[in-house]
Amino acid sequence: MSVTGGRRPTLTRGVFAIEQEQLALPDPLALDTSFVVEALLATQPLHATCSAFLARIVESGVAVVTSDLLAVELAETAFAIALKEHWGGRWRGHRIDGRSRRPGTRLLNHTVTRYDALLSPVNHLPIPVRRVTVQARALMTGYGLASYDAVHAASAIAADAKAIVTLDTGFALLPSAQLAIYTDRSRLASCRNKRPH
Amino acid sequence: MRSVAKQQTNGKIERLSAEELAELLVPATAKTPEEKRAALKRATTGLRVKVRVTRDMYRPR
Repeated sequence: MSVTGGRRPTLTRGVFAIEQEQLALPDPLALDTSFVVEALLATQPLHATCSAFLARIVESGVAVVTSDLLAVELAETAFAIALKEHWGGRWRGHRIDGRSRRPGTRLLNHTVTRYDALLSPVNHLPIPVRRVTVQARALMTGYGLASYDAVHAASAIAADAKAIVTLDTGFALLPSAQLAIYTDRSRLASCRNKRPH
Repeated sequence: MRSVAKQQTNGKIERLSAEELAELLVPATAKTPEEKRAALKRATTGLRVKVRVTRDMYRPR
């Protein structure tokens, strides 16, 4: 299925807004951590947009691809939140502080429970990092992707996902022929400018 | 031992085979529309924190 919906890819550069109601959903569709964090956390600025798009994904019945790295990044998010809530701007220096581990663990459990709920209505393709290490290296050396972005992008491509849902403009370093980018409206211009010619 | 990573060939990233993807697939457990709606609600409501999460909190640039 074409993700461009018949539009000229030269205009869109393979970057589309998730707010767009007519946006076609390819099967499978890859999710990046940035989108999942926004969908799960009700206090995030794009929560409404991302949870609405998640509902569209579920309703459409397309399968979802994620890297196994996503679950690890969610755990990291939970601990970073606990540290930042307690220590504010100095949170990075308190990583080994045991007092933050208990709230971090509690938040991690809440996050994992919700992530499991998020995946339960979809057919899910979790891609182990070890299955895409060579592909990730190729994306780093070929297009300058950062390592973690490269793992997510390689997982999407290896599973034959035609698009990744992300709020991270770093994925736009990939040529549009490799992977379409589904992002929020405010990031369209930035992603399109980053696309290689 | 089975190969765990594919080579890049002719500038294209090689895909996992249909058999490999079938092995990895975790089928949906919420099947009915009601179950799906309930799962979505559980996933996306009620988790509130006091700070804004930014990319650097889970991924180094």
